[in-house]
Amino acid sequence: MAAHSAFKGDRLRESLAVYVLTDRGLARGRAEQEVVRAAIDGGATAIQLRWKTGSLRDAVSVGRDLREMCRVADVMFVVNDRVDLALALDADAVHLGDEDLPIREARQIVGESIIIGYSPATLVDALQAPRLGADYLGVGPVYGTSTKSDAGEAVGVRRIEEVCAAISIPVVGIGGINADNAADVIRNGAAGVAVISSVVAADDVRAATMRLKHAVEAARKRPE
Amino acid sequence: MSTGSIPRLHLISDSRLCDLNRFVEIASQAVEAGVDAVHLREKALPAGELLHVAGTLREHLGDLAWIIINDRVDVAMIARVDGVELGETGLPVAEVRRLAGATLAIGRAVHDVGGAIAAVRDGADFVISGHVYDTASKPGQAPRGPEFIAEIVANCSLPVIAIGGITPERVPEVLQAGAHGVAVLSGILAADDPARAAREYAQALCGG
Repeated sequence: MAAHSAFKGDRLRESLAVYVLTDRGLARGRAEQEVVRAAIDGGATAIQLRWKTGSLRDAVSVGRDLREMCRVADVMFVVNDRVDLALALDADAVHLGDEDLPIREARQIVGESIIIGYSPATLVDALQAPRLGADYLGVGPVYGTSTKSDAGEAVGVRRIEEVCAAISIPVVGIGGINADNAADVIRNGAAGVAVISSVVAADDVRAATMRLKHAVEAARKRPE
Repeated sequence: MSTGSIPRLHLISDSRLCDLNRFVEIASQAVEAGVDAVHLREKALPAGELLHVAGTLREHLGDLAWIIINDRVDVAMIARVDGVELGETGLPVAEVRRLAGATLAIGRAVHDVGGAIAAVRDGADFVISGHVYDTASKPGQAPRGPEFIAEIVANCSLPVIAIGGITPERVPEVLQAGAHGVAVLSGILAADDPARAAREYAQALCGG
């Protein structure tokens, strides 16, 4: 196992700023590589491979390309749900949801070499996650979203504020976030915003990512 | 890992035939009757739940049988089961070997000679091959017959587990073709008396 991940500490907070998740169904026929290339060019700081359909063999092949693109650009590369795939691809992080492998158990096989992100289902889960070993949290859905059918009701930026006030690991907001509402998420304490449709489904993925990045950076400079 | 240590009578879960609670019950009886490997092949189950079921299964089976998990190598590593079964479109065998080292036996599903040769090259411990006879699990697909097992065995130095429509009566034929053992779903899961069915398979594997 490698030593501690290069993305821990302040580096992690920075890397969560503009966090783009792949979604084959929303990409309008474009390959993951094409979408991710454009998102990185537009300033994405983290890329998550989210693989809901198709064979794992294909995920390995696509994932190797994304892994390399992220490495070259110094962008954090995250794999959703599958810890084995994350290890096989030498990912920087794995992101676990409520029904996925428990954080503590996942940590047993990744050691300290891989960042563990976690999406808590409840506020109580969110508050316990750092103790269990999560390195960052994805909190949402902040706004209404149609992308994740299982995401539940919107929790609003109040939830971001509540969680950020109570824990010290970084939080990324997710769910219905775009360039127009991202600033509010950041001002309520999030280290960054995670997006799917507002980037992956955009006509111009690069331009959409740039707009989002500007919104995040502006909000960081002017907290109120 | 020696050929001799690979189990010969595999029971595989199938949520279309019975739910997981019932499967754990049947598996416990079947292991007492001679099944020596129990597979969790539950593709739709979230990883957290699969981990939980693997733990429950271990509590019921103790060390009397191997537990093998399909596809999810991460769950297999955490649950400390005995092996993984990888499909042709699953994680590559060589990657899994790199991740799990010698802690997990790796079984690879193969449907042609090319797959069998790749399984040997990439470091698998055994192959599961079929389907040999007509089976409700693979409707509309022509069975490959025991001669297919013979062809795989001729091209593969690993133990070959035959799968697909195998009844106790057909066990001698697949053994004749060179199979090391058999894998069963409905033959046990859908039997009126699963324990008795398992015993019949076990006896057939022991030569009668």
